Amino acid sequence: MLYFIGLGLGDERDISLKGLDAVRSCSRVYLESYTSVLPGVDKKALEKLYGKEITIADREFVEEKAEEIIDGSDTDNVAFLVVGDPFGATTHTDLWMRARERHIPTETIHNASIMNAIGVCGLQLYRYGEAVSIALFTENWRPDSWYDKIKANMKLGLHTLCLLDIKVKEPSLEALARGKKVYEKPRFMTIPEAIEQLLEVESKRTEKVYGEDTFCVGLARVGGSDQLVASGTMRSLREYEFGGPLHSLVIPGEMHFLEEQFVRSFSVED
Amino acid sequence: MVNFTIDQLRGIMDKKNNIRNMSVIAHVDHGKSTLTDSLVAAAGIIAMENAGDARLTDTRADEQERCITIKSTGISLYFSFPDELGLPKEAVGRDFLVNLIDSPGHVDFSSEVTAALRVTDGALVVVDCVEGVCVQTETVLRQALAERIMPVMTINKLDRAFLELQLEPEDMYQNFCRVIENANVIMATYQDDALGDVQVFPEKGKIAFSAGLHGWAFTLTRFARMYAKKFKVDTDKMVERLWGDSFFDRENKKWVKKEKPGLSRAFCEFIIKPVKKIIELAMSNKTADLDKLLTSLDIKLSADDKQLQQKPLMKRVLQKWLPADQALLEMMVLHLPSPAQAQKYRAELLYQGAIDDAAGTGIKNCDPNGPLMLYVSKMVPSTDKGRFIAFGRVFSGTVKSGQKVRIMGPNYEPGSKKDLFVKSIQRTLLMMGRRVEAVESVPCGNTVGLVGLDQYLVKSGTLTDLDDALPLKDMKYSVSPVVRVAVEPKNPSDIAKLVEGLKRLSKSDPLVQTSIEESGEHIIAGAGELHLEICLKDLREDFMNGAEIRVSTPVVSYRETVGGIMDAERNGVCLSKSPNKHNRLYIYAEPFPENLAEAIEDGKIGPRDDAKARSKLLRDEFGMSEDAAKKIWCFGPDTTGANLLMDRTKAVQYLNEIKDSCVGAFQWATKEGVLCEENMRGVSFNILDVTLHADAIHRGGGQIIPTCRRALYGAQLMADPKIQEPIYLAEIQAPETVSGSIWSVVTLKRGHVFEEVPRPGTPMVNLKAYLPVAESFGFTAELRKATSGQAFPQCVFDHWELMSGKPLEDGDRVNKIVKDTRIRKGLKENVPGIDHFFDKL
Repeated sequence: MLYFIGLGLGDERDISLKGLDAVRSCSRVYLESYTSVLPGVDKKALEKLYGKEITIADREFVEEKAEEIIDGSDTDNVAFLVVGDPFGATTHTDLWMRARERHIPTETIHNASIMNAIGVCGLQLYRYGEAVSIALFTENWRPDSWYDKIKANMKLGLHTLCLLDIKVKEPSLEALARGKKVYEKPRFMTIPEAIEQLLEVESKRTEKVYGEDTFCVGLARVGGSDQLVASGTMRSLREYEFGGPLHSLVIPGEMHFLEEQFVRSFSVED
Repeated sequence: MVNFTIDQLRGIMDKKNNIRNMSVIAHVDHGKSTLTDSLVAAAGIIAMENAGDARLTDTRADEQERCITIKSTGISLYFSFPDELGLPKEAVGRDFLVNLIDSPGHVDFSSEVTAALRVTDGALVVVDCVEGVCVQTETVLRQALAERIMPVMTINKLDRAFLELQLEPEDMYQNFCRVIENANVIMATYQDDALGDVQVFPEKGKIAFSAGLHGWAFTLTRFARMYAKKFKVDTDKMVERLWGDSFFDRENKKWVKKEKPGLSRAFCEFIIKPVKKIIELAMSNKTADLDKLLTSLDIKLSADDKQLQQKPLMKRVLQKWLPADQALLEMMVLHLPSPAQAQKYRAELLYQGAIDDAAGTGIKNCDPNGPLMLYVSKMVPSTDKGRFIAFGRVFSGTVKSGQKVRIMGPNYEPGSKKDLFVKSIQRTLLMMGRRVEAVESVPCGNTVGLVGLDQYLVKSGTLTDLDDALPLKDMKYSVSPVVRVAVEPKNPSDIAKLVEGLKRLSKSDPLVQTSIEESGEHIIAGAGELHLEICLKDLREDFMNGAEIRVSTPVVSYRETVGGIMDAERNGVCLSKSPNKHNRLYIYAEPFPENLAEAIEDGKIGPRDDAKARSKLLRDEFGMSEDAAKKIWCFGPDTTGANLLMDRTKAVQYLNEIKDSCVGAFQWATKEGVLCEENMRGVSFNILDVTLHADAIHRGGGQIIPTCRRALYGAQLMADPKIQEPIYLAEIQAPETVSGSIWSVVTLKRGHVFEEVPRPGTPMVNLKAYLPVAESFGFTAELRKATSGQAFPQCVFDHWELMSGKPLEDGDRVNKIVKDTRIRKGLKENVPGIDHFFDKL
C-alpha cells in the first residue's frame, strides 16, 4: 500500500491518528520537502514521534526517482508524507498516477491545508475564487498571468488566495541550462515582497484591479503556535514585519459585513 | 623638423580638420614598421641617425628580435606642413596631428589589424616593389574598405630595385605599373559607394615610392614641383607628364605621347635616372661628381656628412633630397580624410542606434560638445605589471580624466544591466609608442589611452556619458580562433598564477580565447601556430612571471551541425516533459539553407536587424519560408551565433513567460552540442508545440530550462547529426620548379590546390590551396623540407566544411574525433542515446 499522508500545518503532532497508525505500519517513510515546510520542526522530531526513520524527498527525488518510492509498495507499506493535505496542490498527481498504472493500491489520509485553514482570517471559504501562485521575479523572468486571474475574481466579487513562492533547494538557472546542478540558498517570498510585485505589475498593466489602498490580509505560519494574521492596505502591510516563513496573502473581494468586522479585527492601522 | 611639446600636441587635438588618424597596413615583411620609423623620426622623437634601425613601434623585445610586428601600436605625431605646399581647404593653420597605428602583417595577427582599422580613417598600404601585392595585402585592404577606410599606397623597398636587382628604369616602371594595377583590382572589387573612388594612381598623388630602410621617399608631385619651374608649366600639368605614356623628345624639346626609339619615358628620364645616378656616384665614392650634382640640386651636406662613404653617404644624400616624411606626410594630409570628413560617412556603419539620435548625430558631426561616444578597440599592457591601458578612439564628445562613464561591453543588451558598468576614468593618456603622456582631456576625432578601466573591459567596448546611447558596433574579425592547446603549470602550486595569467592574456590579445573545460583543463584558442606560440610566450614570461607551463599538442575546434531528414516536422520531433510532468515541449531541428551561416557570421544577418527587413532577406535570398523567417526568437550561441531558435507554435497561452527559459537553454545547448560539446553551427531549432501548467509556479525556469535543453539535444540527434571541420586557405609563393613538390605535400595533408598562377616577370608562382586545419600542424616545416626552403605558406581560416562520416557509428573516422574530444573534455566516451532526451507520450 502506498499511503499519501497529510501532516497538517503546525508541528509533528498535527498528523491524524489514522495517519499515525499508517506511518507506524510502513517499512519506508518519505517526507516531501519542497512544496511546503513545517515551520520550526525538523526531521528528528518527526522520527521520534513516529518511531520510524524518514527519508527526505526533495524536488529532484520526487520528480526523477518516483519509481524508487513506488518500488516495493505492492508488498510493503510505504508512506509519502506531505505537509498540509496530499492533494492541496497539483504537484503529487504524477506519483499517484504512476502507482495506479502499476496497479499498486493507494490510500490518501487527509489533513488541514492552507486551502481551508485560510478561513482563520474571517473570510468565508465558499466566497474564494481561483487561487494563484506568485512566483519570485528574477531579472528576466517576471510572469504575471495571475494578474488576469485576480482581475476575474474581483469582477465576480470573490476573494483571492495568493500562495507565495518557496524555493527550498532550487538549482541556479544558468547551471541548469548547461545541464548541471548548482543549488541556490533556500528562499521564501515574504508578504512585503509579494505586495511589491503585485504593485509593480499593476503599474505596468494599469487596469486598476487593485492598488496601494486596496485592503488585504496577510497570514504567516498558519496552523502554527505563533500564527500571525494582519490586515490593512497594501501600503501598510508592505511595511509590516511578519517574521519567518511561510506567508500567504488574501485580496478580499466584496465582503459581507460580518466578514468585514472579523477581518478588521486584525487591522495593523490605528 | 620641429620638436614638439605635449601642450602643442594637445592644442591641435581640438582642430578636427587638422587631424589624420591612419594605420599602416601591409603583407608581412613589406617594411611597415621601418617606414613608420622615418615618420616618427621626422616628428622629432627619435634622432635622425637611427631612422630605419630603431623600430620604435615594435615595443616588445621579441618583435625587435624577430623583426616582425606582433601588436599594433599607436603613436601621436605632430607635423608642421611645409610652406611651399598647398593646404587642404578645411585645414586651420599649418600644424597637423597624425595619430598613427603600426600593425602586424602576418595573417595570424590580423585581428590586431582589425582593431587598428576601427580607430583610424585612412590607411597607408605598404607594398614591397619586388614581391608585389600579396595575400595579406589583399586581406587587409578588404578589411579596410569594409570599415570605410580611405587607402593611399606606397611602393616600398625601392632600394632593393636599385641595389639588389639593379633593374633598368623601364623595367622598374613596368613593375610599378603591375603592382598598382593589382592593388586597384582589389580596391575595385571591395569598393563601397559611400567612400567614393578609392583606386590609387601616382598622377593623382595617392601613391608614393619609398625606401623605408634608407629613409627616403617621393611622390610625383615632389618632382613635378622641381621640373615645373624648369619647363615653365603648372605643377599639376607636370605631374601628369611624369607618369604613363609620356615621353620627352630632347632634340625637338617636345612632349610626345607615343613611344619612339631613342626616347625614354618621362618617369624614367626625370625621376628614376637622377636617383640612380646619385646612388651610383655615392656607392662608388665619386665625391667630386656627387658634389657637383648636389650643388645643381641645391642639396647641402654638412661637414660630418661629407666624411661618410658609400651606403651611409647614399642614405644621407637621398634623405636630404627626398625626405620620406615629407612625401608621405604630404600624401596623408592631402589625400586622407580628417575625422570631421570621415565620420560623416562612417557614422552609420559604426553606430548601432538610429543615426539621427543624440549619439548618432554627435558621431556624424564629430562634435566635441556632443555626448561622449568612445570605442575601445584593444587593451595594451601597461608598464605597471598586470594592468592594462584601454586604447580607443573618441568619436563624439570629449573624454576627461576623472569622468564617470557608462561602459558597455560586447554582450551589453540595450535596456538591461548586462555587461554594463558605470565607473570613473582615472587618467586619459596620449599613446607615444613605448611612452605615454598624461593629458587632461581628449576631444573627438582622436585616439586615446585610458587608465582604470581594465577590470571592466575584457577586450573591447563602448564608453558613453549618455544614458540611452546604444553601443558602437563590435568588430568583426577576419580570422577565427580554430587552434587550441591545453596548458597546465609544471608546478601544481602555480595554478593560481596560471588562472590569473590566462585572464590577462585574454585581455592583451583581441582574438585569443581562454576557457576551462569540464575536465578542468585550461584551454587557449588562437588563429594559428604562430599566434599560439606568441600567446604562450606572453603567458609564460609576462603574465605568469616566468612560471613554467606544460603545453599539450594543438587540437582543432569543430562545429556540430545536422544533415537534416525528410519531413522533419513529422519524423524529427523530440518530445520532452518537464520534471514535474506538467509541461511538454515539442522541438525539431533542420539544417540552415545554404550560405545562411556565413551570412550570420559575416554580420549580414543578425539579432539586431530590423525584423521586417530581415524576414524579407531570409525569404528572398535564402528561400526560408515566410512563416519561419518571421518567427525567430533568438540567435545563438552568445546571442549572435549561427543557429536559430524559432517559435512555430500556434496560439499557445503563456508562451512569452517561458521564452527566456527556452532562450537560456538554447544559448547553452548551441554552445555545447550533444555530440562532443563543441559549438553548433547552421542548425535551426523549431518549437512546434508547447503545453504548459496553468500556474506560473509550475512552469518556472527550474522546470522549463532542463526540458528545453533535453528537447534541443534530442532534436539534434534525430536530425542526422554531423561534424564540420575548419579549413585554411593556404597561399604559397615559390619558384615554379618546386610546384610539383608543393602539390604532393598539400595532397598528403588532405588538402587540394585549386589555383596556380605564374607571377609575370618572375620565375615564381602563386598557389592557393584548401587545407584542413587539423592537418596544418607542421605543414610549414614539411613544405620547406620538400622544397629546400623555397616555399613559404600563409594560412588563414577560410571556411567550415562538412565532414562525411557518421559521428554515431563506432569505428567511423568522425566518431573517433567525437570520442577523442569527449574524453579530452572529461565526458563519458559515448554520446548519450536518444532515450535520454525523448519522452514517450
